[in-house]
Amino acid sequence: MIPFTRYLKLGVGVLCGLALCAGAAQAPQHINIKQLATRVEDVVVPLPNEIFGALNKLGTVNWKQHVRSDKGPNFTERPRIALLLGTVIADGFIAVQAEDADAVKDIGQRVLALAKGIGVGNSITPHAKAIIEAADKRNWENVRRELDRTQNSVQQAMNEVHDEKLSQLVSLGGWLRGTEVLTSVVKEHFSSDGAELLHQPDLLSYFQTRLQAMPEFNLPIIRQIQDALVEVKPLIDVGDRRIPPESVKKVNEITTRLGHGIVTRD
Amino acid sequence: MKSCAKLVFQTSALLLVLVALQPVIFASVDDAQSFALQAAEPYVKQGFQVREDYWGGDLGSGEKKAVRQQLFKGNEYWFWLGTEVDKAKVSVHVYDSDGKLAEEPDGWEKGHFAGAHVIPKATGSYFIIVSVEESPEDRTHWALVYGFR
Repeated sequence: MIPFTRYLKLGVGVLCGLALCAGAAQAPQHINIKQLATRVEDVVVPLPNEIFGALNKLGTVNWKQHVRSDKGPNFTERPRIALLLGTVIADGFIAVQAEDADAVKDIGQRVLALAKGIGVGNSITPHAKAIIEAADKRNWENVRRELDRTQNSVQQAMNEVHDEKLSQLVSLGGWLRGTEVLTSVVKEHFSSDGAELLHQPDLLSYFQTRLQAMPEFNLPIIRQIQDALVEVKPLIDVGDRRIPPESVKKVNEITTRLGHGIVTRD
Repeated sequence: MKSCAKLVFQTSALLLVLVALQPVIFASVDDAQSFALQAAEPYVKQGFQVREDYWGGDLGSGEKKAVRQQLFKGNEYWFWLGTEVDKAKVSVHVYDSDGKLAEEPDGWEKGHFAGAHVIPKATGSYFIIVSVEESPEDRTHWALVYGFR
């Protein structure tokens, strides 16, 4: 005999399924995400400027103090170059926010050098040129678009040669740098809305899963990031609760430490 | 010599057929992306930054696919879905992590284009549900792009 609660659950499931299959004109007000019959695609990694845009709406941010355009060391390990490339592209978005043309131009050159270091320089050359030209004209919208194209082209080129893992490290590097700056800004002028921008548990889980599938990248920085994400997870995965200032400060310490590790030699 | 001429004729005939069928055979997700970007065009003038990246695949009539995405409170988002299949009907809708419809009422569906507008009430994960409602093809390419401001 099937208990009543089972019937109830089945009924709710069927209703949700029917609702999801209903005509396009009227979308159902509620669906059961857990019972989605369709396969769910991986979480989409946002660009750093999506977060920066939301931050801007909370108040004036002194972006100049976050601009970083120093060349840094040259690495030979491809995973390290990929991580660094992600952070440098994120630095490009910061320089755009700060409207710092010189920094943008330096970053354009750096992006090209790093892309060459992992064998995808050819697909980046036109974008690097476009970034530098647009920075000269102070056309920030074009710089932003070209930075987005750069990241997309790098990742497409890597995926084409089945270097998806390196492509994921580019995204991770950008996310870490974006989170470092986000927490730095919110730490200085705390607001609940600012702290809420850290509420990205699915993204963090996505990166954790991806890193676990990279045992061949046996580098100290990769292990440090893996350990750090374990530390960060409970600080930002708070459900409906607010993220307190102490958590923002802690995430900032962790991401700053990782950021330093990414740009410096072991 | 005769067999050589026959081979040339057969190869040429095959090439002609391939050229004639090219739009059907080589229609791809990239074509669907062009349509999705076409749907996005008017919004760029309104200040939306359209991401270069896109998501795509193919679905049968009545099939759906969910794309999980991190959205940030304070930003405003539009998602545009497109397909190159002329008589197909597609839809896109956005739900929050509790499964509640999270889109604004000004979303639209116009044949092989559809758009959904979201102003997130909270920062977190959202589900973008794309669907091929009707299509004359067995499998219909789709592409989803999004923009924010």
